[in-house]
Parts: sequence; structure tokens; C-alpha cells
Amino acid sequence: MLSCAPRTEHLVSQLYDCRLNAAMLTPARNNRVQFAPMLSPSAFILRTAVLMALLIGAANVYAQQSLRWGADPSGGAPYVFNDPKHPDQYIGYEKEMVDALASAMGRQAEFVPSDWETLVSALQRKSFDVIVNGLEPTADRQKQIQFSKPYYIFQLALTVRKDDERIHSLADCQNRVVGTLGNTAASRLLEKEGISFKEYAEPLTAYNDLELGRIDAVIMDVPAEVYYASKKPKLKRACDPFFHGTYNIGLRQGDDELKRQVDTAVDQIINDGTLEKILRKWNLWNDAQLELQASKAKPEPQTSDTAYDVTSATFNWREAIWRLTRAAVVTVLIAFGSMFIALVLGLPLAIGQWKGPRVVQWLCTIYVEFFRGTPVLVQLLFLYFGLPTIGLAMPGWLTALIGLGLNYAAYESQVYRAALEAIPRGQWEASYLLGMSPLLAFRRIILPQAFRIAVPPMTNDFVSLFKDTSTAFAISVWELATAYRELANASGQFLMLGVAVSLYYLAMSLPMAHLARRLERKLQRREAIEAVESEVV
Amino acid sequence: MISVTNLIKSANGTRILRGVSFDVPARTVLGVIGASGSGKTTLLRCLNGLERMNEGRIECGEVQLDAALSKSEYARRVTQLRHKVGTVFQHLYLFPHLTVLGNIIEAPTHVRQVARPEAEREALQLLESVGLKEKARRYPETLSGGEQQRVAIARALAMHPEILMFDEPTSALDPRRTASLRSLLRGFVEKGHTMVVVSHSMTFLEGLADRLLYMEGGEVVEFGDANEVLNSPRDPRTKDFLEQAR
Repeated sequence: MLSCAPRTEHLVSQLYDCRLNAAMLTPARNNRVQFAPMLSPSAFILRTAVLMALLIGAANVYAQQSLRWGADPSGGAPYVFNDPKHPDQYIGYEKEMVDALASAMGRQAEFVPSDWETLVSALQRKSFDVIVNGLEPTADRQKQIQFSKPYYIFQLALTVRKDDERIHSLADCQNRVVGTLGNTAASRLLEKEGISFKEYAEPLTAYNDLELGRIDAVIMDVPAEVYYASKKPKLKRACDPFFHGTYNIGLRQGDDELKRQVDTAVDQIINDGTLEKILRKWNLWNDAQLELQASKAKPEPQTSDTAYDVTSATFNWREAIWRLTRAAVVTVLIAFGSMFIALVLGLPLAIGQWKGPRVVQWLCTIYVEFFRGTPVLVQLLFLYFGLPTIGLAMPGWLTALIGLGLNYAAYESQVYRAALEAIPRGQWEASYLLGMSPLLAFRRIILPQAFRIAVPPMTNDFVSLFKDTSTAFAISVWELATAYRELANASGQFLMLGVAVSLYYLAMSLPMAHLARRLERKLQRREAIEAVESEVV
Repeated sequence: MISVTNLIKSANGTRILRGVSFDVPARTVLGVIGASGSGKTTLLRCLNGLERMNEGRIECGEVQLDAALSKSEYARRVTQLRHKVGTVFQHLYLFPHLTVLGNIIEAPTHVRQVARPEAEREALQLLESVGLKEKARRYPETLSGGEQQRVAIARALAMHPEILMFDEPTSALDPRRTASLRSLLRGFVEKGHTMVVVSHSMTFLEGLADRLLYMEGGEVVEFGDANEVLNSPRDPRTKDFLEQAR
């Protein structure tokens, strides 16, 4: 079973590799590798660039031993999704199939949870080696990536409410609202037929809306329909499944050797019956699959007792909470890391905009207005998918950390600037008259006073940064909001998990607010004064 | 000790000082009087280098400033000047984030590079001399206006200036404290300081100033021995001002 643990180890091993590489690259003094504290923004940027380069290198080396595959586990049953019994682990027929493929290839399968909408981009930026997520080889995708041999023949199922007697075929859906997933065979078919449809990100929400009467029908690939709709008492199939499409494995163009290996492995698991066994277990086997078999030798049919019954699975809260806890740690690390960047970078920005030469003022203003004026989500997507096209690919967590840091630096700079400008000119003059240089006056007299003014708005920003870490789900960072989406889609426990996740966010932001209030009080020296006064009395 | 020749200062096209000249011998007190807007505060800001004059010369504690000097040379000399001149503003501008003691030792430890224990010892002596030794650990905002002023004075004295400048020192004081401030300042002359005191209060300057300078509209109307200016002013404008002030 694949879980998050190998991913963490992977990350650690990447970092470890980096350190080794760094040790080899730099003539190490005293044979000791040191991570020096970040001294200046330029040193930090340099370090980050080196770290990124090393991470990319380390990732490529690692790729030779493992088969990293990407898929969207959120709402991904029965392809790949969180096991309700063990929310810490991923299950699904494609998960089992990739394990079988990988072992046929002599590799170790490694799952990289990702987002459906960005799977192709993520493959191209080498977040993983292959896409296995019920992906069809459409013409537009084939322009960007290449595909393996098909491993599954799928049909589409049209689902309606049980009491609905109006719809018996796709043609009956004219002038009705049909729900489906975005960018799938079903959505393209509806487009071609000129039937209006509503796009959903998750199968579960589409079927829920159908039950609630918000839409008239749902059309979806049979595997998803089997898992999400067939056990719902209020829903039924409007007609027999129709359409003929294939699922193939997506690969980067140019990875021809890998494609050859994958094709061989696909042939192998089809012909030795491994795939049929897996499909039977997941209730997905049908005679249409025989088309893919080169030899028609039929393995033993399996009884339905051994079939995986997904609806009867009970949700394991203990593991879910443990998984949320780990996601919360990621959230905390991203929040603190990016706040650190924001606080460090905000000061030079503020000073540049405030007292710098005209050109510097101008540049700082452009920076601030750019990062304040565009959504942080767009900035993260740009950093994650845009930068790799110029050869700069950072892992998701680092992208989130840097992206949010750059964004909040713009806000912090304005907090600093307002605070600095609030210090009366007389404070500068008094310092000069005591013989201080402008730098000394700034450091010893102006900055400490400005800091006192800046603390309350800074705290405010930090709390809001905590919540903004949730935008990192867009670039597949496994933080708290992503965890919520995944687990809730796997279990349908939107309400209770939502409460749990909210409690986590509160548990993180409330101590922050409390600490900030204490810091404020300390800076205002109320306690100090009281202490002195009680001493005097 | 201080000698000013034909000082002219303009700001935004208006002449604030129109050729001011005077001199102050060492260990004496110059009182500068005049109505609001007469240019007396600007004069003080030129003397301590906060404003650059447009024309003229200032000699202050052996440092010579000349309007003709290049910008960098002028700045260099102003830096020298500030080691000789201590200023106490009307609004004091104490550092609110530092204790009384911190306010006083800040410049000695970071500008004169005096070791901290040494600086503290001296600061406590200074505080004792202004009667505030027991308030050394307090923060300025917890002190009364008169106490804050004495902290500002101690802060200026900690840099060992030869010359002390005061801008409207009595504006926040009641009559009793005004008298005690006068005797405190007079004591500094005995210790060897030279002083320039800008004030609109004649009663305060009487018995403190050795010489008086009366300004009006950026010009020196009358300059001379304090007793002479007070008792027999030569210019009718001085006479008017003195009569109104009393």
C-alpha cells in the first residue's frame, strides 16, 4: 500500500541528496556541511536557486529507480482514492494496476497525488513520469504528450433519478441540464451533441446534485458510475452503457524508452490475467475488455464475494485525523517559511519605496502593485507551471513557500512603510543632534519604534497567510485544504471533516493571535511599568 | 565661542533670516527673544546644522561653517559640530522605546563608543544632578513634562557638549518649575558651558541671559548686554515688545 510516508521519505532523501551534492560541489572546510543562516535576500535567492537546481537533479536520479505516477485522488474512486478504512493510504484499481505494472518493469511504484486539471502540465514539468488516471488519448492531449497502449475499454453510463420517466437515451437530454466532469469523453460528447451541461470537479458532487434535483442527469465513465451511483437508491441507469473509449497511460514526448517498457508491461499484465483479476475485484470487468487480450485464454472467473465492496467501507476517523495532522504540519511549515520571507523581503522593499532613488522607488512600487493586484492563486500557478518552461522547476511545497512569501512581502512592505512614516521627523533630528549617522539612527531609534506600530497589522497578515496556504492545493501541495478535499470526497464526510479541519486552522491561528497580543503588550511595556511601579511602592 | 556673520536663510522662496550677525563669548548665555515667526527657531536650527544656510558664516566651537562650502564638506563639518553642541527641543523628542537610562546612554555607547557600565555610571550621575536618579528605569511617557525635560537635558549633556542650545524650554512648565530650571541652567554656565536659549518668555531670560538678541521678521533688531536691552532698549520695536511681554 502506498501512503504519504514514502513521499515524505522521498522529500527527505531529496534534501539529503542536496546536502551531499552541496558538500561535493563546495570545497568543504573542516569536512563539515553547514547550512548558514540566511544573511541577506540576495544570498537567500542564490541559495534557493542552488537548492532548486539540486532538487531537480536529485529528482532525476531518483526517477531511475521508481515509477512515479500522477493522478487526482480527490473524488478519484475507483481509480485511485483514499481508503476510507485507512485514510492514510491510497487504494483503487489503477493503484493496484500500476503496482503490477511497476513490478513487471522491475521498478517501485510511487504515487504523486496531483490535480486533474493540471495533470498534463505537471507531467511536462516532471512532477512525475506517467499519468495513470483514466486518461483517454484525445487529439488535443496527443499534441502535448504521448500515450501507451490502452489498458481499459470504458463506456459511458447515463444516470437519472429513479422516478424520472423522461430520459431513456442521450437524445432525451436535449434541453435538459446534464452534469459531468470537465475535459472528459463525456463532456466532449455532450458538446458535440449540443446538449447543455454543467461541469463538476468531483463525481460525488455531480450525483449529489442529481439526487437533489439540481440537474436532470449525470453522464460519466462506467468505473466512476459503478462506485458513486450504482448503490444510490434514488438513482438508476437511464439506458445501457454506450460509447467506446480507451484509457491509456500518458507519457512525456521523447520518453520513448519508458513508453516501450510501459507497453511491454501493459501487454504482460493483460495476458497473464493480472489485470483481469484486479478489474474483477473492483467490479469493473466486462467482456469488452477481451478486445485487449492478445490470447483469448480466459482465467478462472471470480466470485463476487471477493469483489471489493466500496460502499460498505466504514470511515476510519483515527487515521483520518492522523492524516489531517500531518497535513497541518505542512500548512504550518509553509506559513512560517513564507512569513519569514515576507518579513525579510518586506523591509528592503519598504525602504526602497520610501527613501530610495527614483528608479528604486519605481521598481519597488511595480513589485508591490503586481503582487497586491493579482490573485495569489494565479501567482502560484505561474510559478509552478510557468517557470519550468524557462528551466526553473521547484517542488510544490517550495513553490508555495516562495510564492506566498513573495506575495506577502508586498503587503508587509506597506505595513513597514506606513509604520516608518508614522515616526515623527523629530526622532530623526534628535538622533542626528546626538551625533548619530542616518544608519545608526534608523537601526537604533526609528526601526524599533516602527516595529511596535507594525506588530498588530503584521499579526493580522500572518493569520490571513495561514488561511491562504490553502491556495497551495492548486499546485498539488498536500496541505490541510487538499487533505480535506481528498478525505471528504473519499468518505462523503464533508460536515464532520469540515469541522475538524476548521478546528485545525483555529488551533493554528489562535495561538498566533495570542502570542501577538502578548508581544504587543510587551512592546508597550505595560508589564514592565507595572513591575517597576510595584517595586517603587 | 559662537560667531555668526551675515546669516541668510530662505525656504520656499521666502527669506526667513535676512542677514543675522552676533557673537557669544565662552561661558555666557545668549537669550534669543522675539514673537512667533520672527525666525528664532530657524536660527537655532542653522546653528546646530539641521538647516543649511544660504549665505553667511557660522563659527561654533571652533568648527567653521560657510555657505560656500561643498555639500559633502558642509556635512562633514556639521558632524564635527554635533560633537560640540547639545540641543534640547521644545518637544524634547525623547526615545519612547527606551528607558530614561537607555535614552541617556544610547548616544555615548553607540557614537562615542563608551563601554556600557561606564556610560551607565555617568548617566546616573547626570540624573542625580537633575534630580531624577530614582526614575532611571522608567519609560519617558510615565514621567511629568518637567521630568521629561530634565531627561532630555541629561541626554544632551551625556555627549559632553561645550555648547547647549534650548528651544522654548519653558513652554510646558509652571512658574515654580521655570525658576528651578533657570537655576539649573545657570549652574551649567558655572561648569563651563556656553548656552543659547530661545524663548518668548522675558521673565525666564531675566537673570539667566548675559546677552540678549531681539529678532523681528528675520532681522536682528537689538543685540547687546541683557541689562541694557531690558532696561534701556534703543529701538522702539524692542521697547514695544518688552512692554507687551510685561
